Amino acid sequence: MKKAVFFSLIIASLLFSIPMAAAEGQGESASGAPYEIVWYFIGNGPQKDVAQVEAAVNKYVQGKGLNATVKLVCFDWGSYTQKMQTIIAAGEKYDICFTSVWANFYRPQAAKGAFLPLNDLLTKYAPKTKAALGKDFLEGAAIDGINYAIPANKEKAHNWGVIVRKDLVQKYKLDVSKIKKLEDLEPLFKVIKKNEPTVYPFCTIVGEDAYRILDWDKVVGDNIPVSLPSDNSTTRIMNELEAPQTMAHFKLMHKWYQAGYIRKDAAVITDFMAELKSGNTFSILQSLKPGKDAEMENSTGYPWIQIDLTQPVMSNRETTGSMQAISVTCQKPEMVMSFLEAFNTDKYLNNLINFGIEGTHYVKVSENVIKKGPNNDNYNPGTAWMFGNQFINYLWDNEDPKKWDKFLAYNKAALPLKDLGFAMNTESVKTEVAACLNVWTEYLPQLETGTADPVKLLPEAIAKFKAVGVDKIIAEAQKQYDAWLKKTGK
Amino acid sequence: MNEDQPVLLKRRYLFPKARKSFVLFTMLIPGLVLFTLLSYLPVPLGFIYAFFDVRINPNLFQQIFAAKWIGFDNFRYLWATPDAWIITRNTILYNVAFIALGTACSVAVAIALNELRQRRMAKVYQGIMFLPYFFSWVVISYLVFAMLSVDLGFVNNSILSRLGIQPVKWYQDKVYWPFILIFVNLWKYLGYNSVIYFAALAGINPEYYEAAKIDGASKWKQIRHITLPLLSPTIIILTLLGIGRIFNTEFGLFFQVPLNNGALFSVTQTLDTYTYRALIQMGEPGMAAAAGLYQAAVGFVVVIVANFIIRKIDRDKSLF
Amino acid sequence: MRNTNKALQSAPLLRKIGDGFKSGTIPIHVIFIIYAALCILPLTLVIGISFSSEKSVALNGYRIIPVETSLSAYDFVLKEGGAVLRAYLITILVTVCGTISGLLLVSLYAYPISRRDFKYRRFFSLFAFITMLFTSGFLVPWYIIVVRLLHLKNTFPVLFLPYLQNAWFILIMRTFFKTIPDSLIESAKIDGAGEYRIFFKIIVPLSIPGLATIGLFFALLFWNDFFLNMMFTDNEKMFNLQYLMVRVMLNIQYLSQVTTGSQSAEIMKNIPSRTSQMAMCILSIGPIVFAYPFAQRFFIKGLTVGAIKE
Repeated sequence: MKKAVFFSLIIASLLFSIPMAAAEGQGESASGAPYEIVWYFIGNGPQKDVAQVEAAVNKYVQGKGLNATVKLVCFDWGSYTQKMQTIIAAGEKYDICFTSVWANFYRPQAAKGAFLPLNDLLTKYAPKTKAALGKDFLEGAAIDGINYAIPANKEKAHNWGVIVRKDLVQKYKLDVSKIKKLEDLEPLFKVIKKNEPTVYPFCTIVGEDAYRILDWDKVVGDNIPVSLPSDNSTTRIMNELEAPQTMAHFKLMHKWYQAGYIRKDAAVITDFMAELKSGNTFSILQSLKPGKDAEMENSTGYPWIQIDLTQPVMSNRETTGSMQAISVTCQKPEMVMSFLEAFNTDKYLNNLINFGIEGTHYVKVSENVIKKGPNNDNYNPGTAWMFGNQFINYLWDNEDPKKWDKFLAYNKAALPLKDLGFAMNTESVKTEVAACLNVWTEYLPQLETGTADPVKLLPEAIAKFKAVGVDKIIAEAQKQYDAWLKKTGK
Repeated sequence: MNEDQPVLLKRRYLFPKARKSFVLFTMLIPGLVLFTLLSYLPVPLGFIYAFFDVRINPNLFQQIFAAKWIGFDNFRYLWATPDAWIITRNTILYNVAFIALGTACSVAVAIALNELRQRRMAKVYQGIMFLPYFFSWVVISYLVFAMLSVDLGFVNNSILSRLGIQPVKWYQDKVYWPFILIFVNLWKYLGYNSVIYFAALAGINPEYYEAAKIDGASKWKQIRHITLPLLSPTIIILTLLGIGRIFNTEFGLFFQVPLNNGALFSVTQTLDTYTYRALIQMGEPGMAAAAGLYQAAVGFVVVIVANFIIRKIDRDKSLF
Repeated sequence: MRNTNKALQSAPLLRKIGDGFKSGTIPIHVIFIIYAALCILPLTLVIGISFSSEKSVALNGYRIIPVETSLSAYDFVLKEGGAVLRAYLITILVTVCGTISGLLLVSLYAYPISRRDFKYRRFFSLFAFITMLFTSGFLVPWYIIVVRLLHLKNTFPVLFLPYLQNAWFILIMRTFFKTIPDSLIESAKIDGAGEYRIFFKIIVPLSIPGLATIGLFFALLFWNDFFLNMMFTDNEKMFNLQYLMVRVMLNIQYLSQVTTGSQSAEIMKNIPSRTSQMAMCILSIGPIVFAYPFAQRFFIKGLTVGAIKE
């Protein structure tokens, strides 16, 4: 009997000792030892050679007098948001994380107190970063005047347009110079449909839909129909689905769907790159920026012509499109901010983290141009576009050497929207927001892809949104927006 | 089953009860430790997240104790849609169908396999039936799409067109989906679930059947009067366990297999998919915890009632 | 019974079929064969897609016999051969450790609560059962316990420890233990055996069918799991096979639900095609399909051993 008790005690203690042993390894580092900066970001997942890159980064920053080591933790696109929501809600220790309007959601996390206010830290420890981003852009990324994250310095505006297949345009001698709106594409589609039986003239699928051409400036979130028009014409927030142009657009899509220009299964297809890569797509609506056509040719293997359809605007989507925040659980915010300053301004450090080690992961072709190195696959986080300062990034050998100059011109030409920097606090309407998100998925994919007849379905969708309280969200948004306009004197 | 009462009684008087139970109790310790740490400790935390406004704090204890009471605010979204009753109906009806059909089919399969005298064939069938279990829901969703895609799908292209039937727009017509979902679920789990019954059958003493054969009982009579009664404890336990999850649904089945398709919502929307869609862009742990508590509470009540009824009929077969 | 079986196997085919008709098993065979086809066909479809070129899948849809064959999907997956090999190793290690410790824990918990003379059996059954009710909604609290209290993040045990206390398995195991006659235990006690001796020497050998079933379920649970990997590890060296495969699918699923605006093309260009996803599916099922006949032989043996009991 004694033996029996002893035995089970051993099992129990074994089970306990596992966590204990694990806990020991994570003890506090002694004072004087370098502080470990843990950086979580989104990308192609953990990289094989990350330890090598970390070692190079550590050596470099310590040489610059920063007593720190850096741990780069790259999560996959698909798990990042869930992992960060859990890590943040659990109050786990980390220092820097990627946050944005589309992953690890910036506004709700900031509202929950997840991130440190950075205004003073920026002024004190990162003056060059602050100057490079410019006042407008930083204010646009702030919530009630407080910056909880530092936006990446890159293209600061967006506009919408279509890309069409260059090879097919040339084959059938189509005229693309007169295309100014979506409807103008119709004659082209007719030709394609008649002559190319395996090609769908127009691609509009879930998540990559043509509805974005209307460019609603979303106030609450992408899948909530509470918006302002993107032309500063009014400060009245409205339900975008009730606007006449919305109905007109869905009617056009339905017409195209029935004419066979759009894939029959569009409402359940989600992987648009697979569509483009397969060569079965003639045209698709995309967010454009200088050099988009070349970029798309690289990633799809087909040549494209980009046709701009809307004017570039600077909206909250760009200012909060990709940023780095410092966690409230960070123990040395000053040091972390100094590190970020170095990252944003030091060409060597920035390119080291984005592209890896020279000669191993990339090879220099000329001063600013690089090509893939022998071990490129072992370190390729795919993150250059969302990190720090794109203007000091190297360019791949197949990119436009003038890319950064064109970006600067593009940024200058953009129209800043009036609500830049307005962030709605949705705490009081979160029930309605949650319900609206479900209604959106129920109706919008069918309408966006033209699968359903909008004359019947759109009023149904509007009624359902009303039933779950979209008007309450609009009223609350308007109240907060008016107060914000008054406060900022805009 | 055949209790040896006199011996039992004798032992009871020889040893003090508490001490006898103590040795058995020590066997529970590893399980109790893990249950307490990993299943029970999260519950009060879950309550805090559901009923309080938790602000993030580097100090775990401050984070928990500084939280502000907000009552049922986090629960409201669960009923804030006119579809609340459709969602509840779907969740419950699908579960009832899965439990009833799933149990009937797995028992039937187990008995049939057991009856097959060609053991080698039985083994092969059992192995093959296990295959679908290894497909993740995402892969299954591709397979279903391969079958049902409007223009490229196998059913429309290879079967219906040859029979001269108009292609069916599977993903736009919701009448088919209750059957598709029930079938897919059954298909994925049949091999897995029948293993439990198969093992339970192996535990039945062959003497029972030999005695029945001598009495001239037919196969059907043997199944009805020997096999099923002896399987009933297993059937009851598995059913009770299923009932406890009556408010939970397999997310992959209802989200990925219909490809998150709005046109089918009225027959595919369940509590889990609703919660997921509501929270993916908000990331509110409080609202997630609220949904979890709601599901647990309903499951608990239903199981207690079911257990109570079973206990009235046969005390020994109840769960607790 | 087993003798007749042997005789049957050596008998000519014709007699076997005739015998089948007599005992009415032919219809059973027919049903099973049809159903087996329903289980095998999708597998061949997955194999077919994995050997198709990406382009032909997009143009012709999914075909069992590829219109245009290509090995590029496997090329893509096996490009990181080392990672796949290590993932196999992790999966096997986790499955072995998890199954053994899980079986020990589950049977040790299930045995006392199956005993009619254990006073608190109802309480402890309920104690186990209630844990089944708390599910996904408790993710954050669960995470807090595992990471902030137990410090298990990025350790090996975290890949199986959180799943060991499986109430479902415990309650199934309990019903298996319950079929063992009390008289056996009583007579062992009279012989002076302690509870642990009775458990390991009498109960365990008699419960091989149940233990084999639960062991199989545990093995499948750990083989198929990716969630623990996703939540509790950051290091590619710790990824198991399932997670290696699933993360790609999660990427597409997530990205199709959020609007990433101008970034979408940049992100999506690195995501592999469906053909490689199918290749990954085959690679993760492959070993199990090959190992299954052996596991099954062991399992069936377990069942027959159990069946001879008193």
